[in-house]
Amino acid sequence: MVGLKRLISGSAGTVLVGVLAGFVIASAGGIFIQDSGLFGASGESPIARTYMLALLKRDPNSIVGIRPNQSIAQRAAEIQNADTSRTTGDIQPLSLTYIGGASVGAYSVHIYAVGLRTAQGVDQFFPLALTVYGGKVRRSE
Amino acid sequence: MNESRAIATLALFAVGLLGGVVVHAFLDKGPAENPYPALPKVDEPRAAHDIVAAVGADDAQALSRMLDSTMLTDLDAAIQPIVDVRTTKFVGAVESEGKLLSAYVVTGKTAEGIDFVVGFVLRVSNDQVVGVN
Repeated sequence: MVGLKRLISGSAGTVLVGVLAGFVIASAGGIFIQDSGLFGASGESPIARTYMLALLKRDPNSIVGIRPNQSIAQRAAEIQNADTSRTTGDIQPLSLTYIGGASVGAYSVHIYAVGLRTAQGVDQFFPLALTVYGGKVRRSE
Repeated sequence: MNESRAIATLALFAVGLLGGVVVHAFLDKGPAENPYPALPKVDEPRAAHDIVAAVGADDAQALSRMLDSTMLTDLDAAIQPIVDVRTTKFVGAVESEGKLLSAYVVTGKTAEGIDFVVGFVLRVSNDQVVGVN
């Protein structure tokens, strides 16, 4: 009975170690493939894309978890600005293009081109570079 | 007996390894769908290439001839906190109504010696660099 228990726990441990190793290898491989552009991978980070979509939709609430912590006053001001621009309908997104990016260690940079039309009908075309670290957008410029 | 035990252990590990890859594939959803149109990529503009080549070569003399003081200040802000550029890489360029954005990634070291990566974009119009972001 003890032998059987030891056999089962030993086997489960081996499988568990294998699962962890497989997860880490797949994760590292995925990052390498993304960065190198192999197999048609764009290298775009899901976090960066979510951040950009929230910016264009003027929905700051949806990116609370993926940007650095802000004070309550900063968050309130951001919501106020988003509400105002939604009400006045002052911008209309025309395009969102992921240009490219790269990683160094835990830091990654993702660069986008954004096309917008203002309420005055003026088209704007500008870039935005996001620095992602620790699962959050740390810098946006 | 020992041999068959080793083979069984390796087989269990391999099963686990495969399971880990499957779990990762299931959890890694990739970026959300882009509801907006994406512009096609274009080739790197020559004027932008020359400027980034000067940055990569640490050639301040050449850079001073290619950019005015405002753009040099913007470039300085764009590559902060890197003070020692190690590599520059063109990642892509897009164009909209004659305005071209050429994007680069710079790796290097900060003043504290920490490896860092930053991205910056050169605005090109009429084959001339007209801005740095």
